Amino acid sequence: MAKRVLCKFFAHGACLKGEHCEFSHDWKDPPNNICTYYQKGVCSYGSRCRYEHVKPSRPESSASSSSMVSLPPTAESSVGVTTVPGVLPELSALSRPYLPPNNPAWNLESGDSGHDDSLEDSDFGELRDLKPADRPICSFAAAGAGNCPRGGKCPHVHGELCPTCGKHCLHPFRPEEREEHIKTCEKKQKHLESLRRSQEIECSVCLDRVLSKPTAAERKFGLLSECDHPFCISCIRNWRNSSATSGVDVNTALRTCPICRKLSYFVIPSVIWYYTPEEKMEIVDSYKGKLRSIDCKHFNFGNGNCPFGTSCFYKHMVKPGSYMWKYHRPPPRRPTARRSNFVDMDSFLDAFEHLIRDDEPDMFDVDFDTDNDHAYRDGRLEEVVLRHLGAEDGDTVIAKDIRLSDFLSNMNIR
Amino acid sequence: MQASRARLFKEYKEVQREKTADPDIQLVCDDSNIFKWTALIKGPSETPFEGGVFQLAFAVPEQYPLQPPQVRFLTKIFHPNVHFKTGEICLDILKNAWSPAWTLQSVCRAIIALMAHPEPDSPLNCDSGNLLRSGDTRGYQSMARMYTRLAAMPKKG
Repeated sequence: MAKRVLCKFFAHGACLKGEHCEFSHDWKDPPNNICTYYQKGVCSYGSRCRYEHVKPSRPESSASSSSMVSLPPTAESSVGVTTVPGVLPELSALSRPYLPPNNPAWNLESGDSGHDDSLEDSDFGELRDLKPADRPICSFAAAGAGNCPRGGKCPHVHGELCPTCGKHCLHPFRPEEREEHIKTCEKKQKHLESLRRSQEIECSVCLDRVLSKPTAAERKFGLLSECDHPFCISCIRNWRNSSATSGVDVNTALRTCPICRKLSYFVIPSVIWYYTPEEKMEIVDSYKGKLRSIDCKHFNFGNGNCPFGTSCFYKHMVKPGSYMWKYHRPPPRRPTARRSNFVDMDSFLDAFEHLIRDDEPDMFDVDFDTDNDHAYRDGRLEEVVLRHLGAEDGDTVIAKDIRLSDFLSNMNIR
Repeated sequence: MQASRARLFKEYKEVQREKTADPDIQLVCDDSNIFKWTALIKGPSETPFEGGVFQLAFAVPEQYPLQPPQVRFLTKIFHPNVHFKTGEICLDILKNAWSPAWTLQSVCRAIIALMAHPEPDSPLNCDSGNLLRSGDTRGYQSMARMYTRLAAMPKKG
């Protein structure tokens, strides 16, 4: 009974085979992620298969189940049976090809150990002799509402009721396992609860329930950083990006909440809605954390110029040998192929590139130039002075000051 | 296109459901075109428009609700922010302060509020605006009342 692979059904709390299951019902055992179809020769999913494609490493006859999954057998495995002296020799006799199973495993086991396939197996007696902490939990009781068919004769520990999921799956004698279960269970429950409450919430732009939208991509909320009004992610993004066509003010209407008109600088996608500021914080933080792990495509490892500078949400990693690496400042902006609605901004930047470059605050450079120094300190750091524009005919045109934030708000970069 | 249609349909159902909710506004959708609406609004009380019923025409763009509907008065009205000839309305929420959270119903409410509180400093009807700006409230009110009687009230007898 070398049960080293975690039973998939047990993991969901619904294995009906109970003790007769050929797979392990011990949480410490690793799950099997090996594609059986690949090992037999044909997996129609190919490289897209979600299971691992591992070639059978040893001849099947001598392979025990644990070697087949290429994981070291866990010596401290608390399945119980393996730790009982006297049962171990029997194990080698039981060694059988794990994949593919030729016979139902429960027949094999009971046949080899010379017993009928009955509930009153002698194994169970041995199980009863074990320390309570070593006895596995009864999956019959765990899956159903505590009604194990063996009743009091069951050799397994009947779990205590988990108040969150309502299953009898708390092992009375394994405190770490209990804690772990309660923790994950509560987290899962909380997620489900907020998902349930989020069902009712309507987007004020399309007037639909956000989570009743036809496609999965649409069934997401777009949270605004500064207020608590719910929208679909697609609705709020469409609205905030619609500046090109409509005459709507960017900073007084477009970037504000359509309901309360509070200015928000970014939108956070989320599948659930929140009810407390802490929940919102959690969503925002996890979103930002996710973005921080993604390399910024504008920064381009130090070879590009990210318009968001140090306040960019994405990862700015300087690769050795890049422009940033060599010169300690971002490279000048270059015309890049972008989507058509950004062309205006780009051509504008290109036209004045040589003027902007020198006056633009160098956010990456720690050693500021002396003449720029006080400008950074007194809070005017975002000011870009575009006073003298050389026209083509030689005239000098005096232009008004332009703020960097005006550029940034027009860039539409997500 | 599809989004605007769906949203207008929602608004249509809402209007049907709450027909009696706001007695001052009667919003009707064109039988064959959901992008064309008309509304009948009552002139607010204690204004020269009291007692009048004004007709509005809505032309909803395909990008609605990302773009505001175009609204104009079909009934002649003497008001500083309404063009006397075309009926065009000068109202920020219909131009640069539009928000997709507005509905046709709430636009009607905003127009009623505009009738009660004219903005003479950005006039479309200069005569009306000048009367108010020069402090001739009485002159403005009597002109407005006269046009309300002429155009927005059912002919008597």
